[in-house]
Amino acid sequence: MTRVGEVPCCDGPASHVLLRSVGLTKVFRTDGGPVHAVRGVDLWLRRGEFVAVMGPSGSGKSTLLHALGGLEPATSGEIWLDGQRVDGFSQARWAVLRRRHIGFVFQFFNLVSNMTAADNVELAALIGGASRRAARARREELFGELELTAQADAVPAQLSGGEQQRVALARALAHRPSLLLTDEPTGNLDSTNSASVLRLLSRSHAAGQAILLVTHDARAASMADRVVSLFDGMIVDDAPLPSVPPPRVTARDVLELRG
Amino acid sequence: MRAGLRWIRADLRARPGQAVAMVLVVAGVVSALLLSATLLEGATDPWRALFTQTKGADIWLRLSAGADVRPLGHMDGVTGIAGPYRASAATLVRGPLTAPVQMWAMGPVPPAIGQPLIRQGRWLTSAQPSGVVLEASFAQAVRARAGSTLVIEGLDGSSVRARVLGVAYSSDQGFYPDQTPGLMWALPGLVSRVEPVRRHTVQIAGIRLADPSATGFAVQQAVTQLGSGAVLGVSTWRDVERSMDGGDPLLGLLLALFGVVALGGALLAIGNAAGGRVLVQKQDLAMLKTLGFTPAQLVGMLVAEHAALGLVGAAAGVVIARLATVPLMRQVPAGTLGAVAPLQAGWAALLVGGIGIAVLLATALPGWRAGRVWPVAAIRPPAPGKRLSRLARAALLTHLPPAVVLGTRAAFTRRLPAVLTIGGLALPVAMVTIGIGFWATLDQVQRHPGEIGLAAALTVRPGELDRARAQRIVAADPEVAAAYRSVTVSALLPGETSTITTLGAGTSARPFPFHVAQGRLYQAPGEAVASQGLLDSVHLRVGQYLRMPVDGVPVIFHVVGRIIEPEYGGQVLAYGLDTLTQAGAVPPPPSYSLVLRPGISPASAAARLLRVSGGRLDVARTVSPAADLGIVRPMLAGLFGILGLIGLTCLLTASAVGLRDHLRDIGALRAMGLTPAQVVASLVTRMSVLALTAAVVGVAAGLSLSSRLINLAAQVYGIGAGLSSPPPAGATLTAATVAITAAALVALIPARRAARIPVAATLGP
Amino acid sequence: MRLPLLALLAKEPAHGYELKGQLEQIFGDAYPSLNIGQVYLTLQRLEHAGLVRSQDVVQTARPNKRVYELTPAGRDAVATWVEAPSEAPRIRDDFFMKLALGPLAGVTDRLGLINRQRRHYLSVMRGLSRLAEATAEGNKIPRLLIEGAMMHLQADLDWLQRCQEELV
Repeated sequence: MTRVGEVPCCDGPASHVLLRSVGLTKVFRTDGGPVHAVRGVDLWLRRGEFVAVMGPSGSGKSTLLHALGGLEPATSGEIWLDGQRVDGFSQARWAVLRRRHIGFVFQFFNLVSNMTAADNVELAALIGGASRRAARARREELFGELELTAQADAVPAQLSGGEQQRVALARALAHRPSLLLTDEPTGNLDSTNSASVLRLLSRSHAAGQAILLVTHDARAASMADRVVSLFDGMIVDDAPLPSVPPPRVTARDVLELRG
Repeated sequence: MRAGLRWIRADLRARPGQAVAMVLVVAGVVSALLLSATLLEGATDPWRALFTQTKGADIWLRLSAGADVRPLGHMDGVTGIAGPYRASAATLVRGPLTAPVQMWAMGPVPPAIGQPLIRQGRWLTSAQPSGVVLEASFAQAVRARAGSTLVIEGLDGSSVRARVLGVAYSSDQGFYPDQTPGLMWALPGLVSRVEPVRRHTVQIAGIRLADPSATGFAVQQAVTQLGSGAVLGVSTWRDVERSMDGGDPLLGLLLALFGVVALGGALLAIGNAAGGRVLVQKQDLAMLKTLGFTPAQLVGMLVAEHAALGLVGAAAGVVIARLATVPLMRQVPAGTLGAVAPLQAGWAALLVGGIGIAVLLATALPGWRAGRVWPVAAIRPPAPGKRLSRLARAALLTHLPPAVVLGTRAAFTRRLPAVLTIGGLALPVAMVTIGIGFWATLDQVQRHPGEIGLAAALTVRPGELDRARAQRIVAADPEVAAAYRSVTVSALLPGETSTITTLGAGTSARPFPFHVAQGRLYQAPGEAVASQGLLDSVHLRVGQYLRMPVDGVPVIFHVVGRIIEPEYGGQVLAYGLDTLTQAGAVPPPPSYSLVLRPGISPASAAARLLRVSGGRLDVARTVSPAADLGIVRPMLAGLFGILGLIGLTCLLTASAVGLRDHLRDIGALRAMGLTPAQVVASLVTRMSVLALTAAVVGVAAGLSLSSRLINLAAQVYGIGAGLSSPPPAGATLTAATVAITAAALVALIPARRAARIPVAATLGP
Repeated sequence: MRLPLLALLAKEPAHGYELKGQLEQIFGDAYPSLNIGQVYLTLQRLEHAGLVRSQDVVQTARPNKRVYELTPAGRDAVATWVEAPSEAPRIRDDFFMKLALGPLAGVTDRLGLINRQRRHYLSVMRGLSRLAEATAEGNKIPRLLIEGAMMHLQADLDWLQRCQEELV
């Protein structure tokens, strides 16, 4: 059994590593035979780091995210969260772990349909251990930041896609998780709403939130500190994006206006 | 957990209709079952409860005015003496009503033995010297209550004004007017005013025995001790019990049957409702796990929510039952429900516990199953299956309207929910059918009491008149169609140590018109008819012979027929009086069973006989089980209501679950060209098909079971098969039609809403 | 840059610096502006082609400025340009050439080639995002230009993915 830090995975002290997977594998048993969705992925994430996982559909990126968040049991491999080995946890232990440490944002929003937006967010805070007053205060704070104060008492069915995703983001951050896992957060949004959600993610990151983003949207991925490329269940590239911006980029770098 | 409570609150607020429906169903079921239990308790043995509560006396002696009762206290086996109370006969006048009454003189302190149970008002007090307390059934008959005024006329014609202080139950004698005269308690002073002549009064003394079964011996001892001249009359607790029993076994059994099956149906409905609520939320529940709810917490939350709803419903049901008991008691002949209330607590706890378990199981099971699935299942939108193309092909290929085809197929795509729905609906339908059968039987029994062996509406005993005079009065009465002399004689069952009652009714040449279910009536001396219970206990069939010592004299009976006889615990043997005399037995003094002319009311005939005889004739009305069963009709009606509620719950659940399942398919089909009207038609068809299947199954089961159940019940109680009427076709078809229409309506409203949702929304996640 | 200048002159006559200023106002930071030399060079060519004519305007306190205006031929040229459909954008195929012919040139690590190109695209995307953030809401033209560039970049990345699937 390897301990974090023994395998040369990351530069920097081991104590900064928040999430780490070693040889993570997920195999689905289907009628057509076993499907290897994730094959031996070694991934790590430091505190406050923003990592994007890109890849075509079918590359296993969503499965990887689900396994890392305990939404689905991995077939084999290790998962370490904050120095604690968590693969093989039962559903109940995963649930307790998620309460404190992990927030999720999904492509299809997945808000609880029979609760108002405010209740959706406060529920996450409450189960994270906050008192009723603290949960309410946190919700009001988040809604203020995300410009959702007017929608607090609406149910998801009454909200637009962009509003729902912002509520989902508030819900994910309500209990101040150490790690935010997001799966195609802009997949179901138009460009305006996408931009606004991405802006919010960026702001969270700037405030110190560790984020693991799974996406095929280059604009979303370009906000990350590091981009991991996944292909056919395996990592093919893992490179940091330069923090210093290249010499002034204009549209000319992509297209040329002629006339 | 605060979070759990928050979710429960939100869930209840989001679907208040369903929550209220569930509470109502539970409340309805609990109250119905509690009321049934109340009536059951009262019905099966009203006497026993009353006797215990009033600390009744086992033997009541009617003694001459000057008798010395002291020796009674020294008898063996006597644990207490009640009285002696001076008693006098009088007539009670209240407005236009007059009734014979016997006044017992008692003091302001209620006696220790035979203590009347105050139901209304208060007991006697020396502050009100002209106050009286009436026995409950008597008070109801003369329409008096606490605070009423009445006039008491003595035998010499003097009248005294009196005021009713209270109404009380008593186990000292049977109900008025089955047993006359009515019972009234008053202070000695008032009794003296009504009847100043001591010679005209009697003494009443009650004896409480250590061994209640030794009444015969005790009576003999008393008579010996006091001298036969002093003892004018004896009644034992058995006589009182028998008079109070009436048709109770039938009522009791009906109630018990209904109670049990209603409980089963209710549990199914509640299970359906609770389970359905959980199933519809599978997606949300899995999402809660993503947030951090453990599977155990989820189950706990669901169980808590439904347990709370069930508890509220149960509490409401208990309250409703309590509130309904009061008007119910007023409907039913006084005394039937005498002292039932204290026994409720145990029943209530049992019922509430049973329902609680049902709710918990119904919620915990699907909750646990939802808990086992990893949360990822909630995130992936359910993939549209290959089912869709088959459905579409089916819809297009057949020439039936596509909506009908889709609807029918949709009804059965998921096996288990379909079966549960059909079962959940078929059960109430079956029960309603059986209920209709009971109703029909009841109607038949009430209209033709002769069919259950109660051809004689009145039984007359000579009372204080001599036999010849009594016979003359009875024979002369124009309202009496026929009078049959009858005696009851106990006989020892062969091989057993217990005795049964045998009836010498009429003569072999002119037998009493029993209702013969099998064989024929006795026509010659030595022939007899028997009830089912007796035949069972001596393992005899019609046509065989029975040898029994009757009143000490062995007699051989040829059992030629089986009769339906609801009294005497189902064990009775009837024969002509001449059989007895021929065997050498001495029949006891007979009573006269009077068959009245058709259309004559027993009450008026009885009053007339009493008037003619100056109140000295002992006239008793035959207690028909159907009289007590008058309560059954409103009960059945209430039960139909509850069954309707149960069925409705089932339908609502099925509709909600079905809509959720098929919404995606419908969206795709609408995208292909199904009009909204066709969508509505397909959903309505689906529910109607389910309801039709359930109705067919339910009615078939009900029809086959109805007669069988009634006959079985009658058989168990020894009355014998042959009592039942089948459920009439019209009412049954109406019930089935109502069920199917309700199903269609239940599907219609959400279907119309679903049809209007834009197609894209149904295809999305 | 000939036709955009003609189009600007179609509105009203202007001199070189004014034209440069107008271009900068329209495109903002999204597109680098021409330097003044290029503007004058282009104007001279246009005059040579007979599409514009110039005139010196005497100013009292400043040196003379040369004002250009459209000729009728110039007006025709603008009308023709506007009405005729534009050619489809020509995709830069420099990278694809490298990928396709790489093996002939001894390139063994196609995956590395693709990875490097992806990283470049992403950093350009990042730059464009920053640019978009810096551009005010009201400047619709620059914002649309940036968005268009991002969409093209996304398409390039998706094409890169496909190349990876097929060639690696």
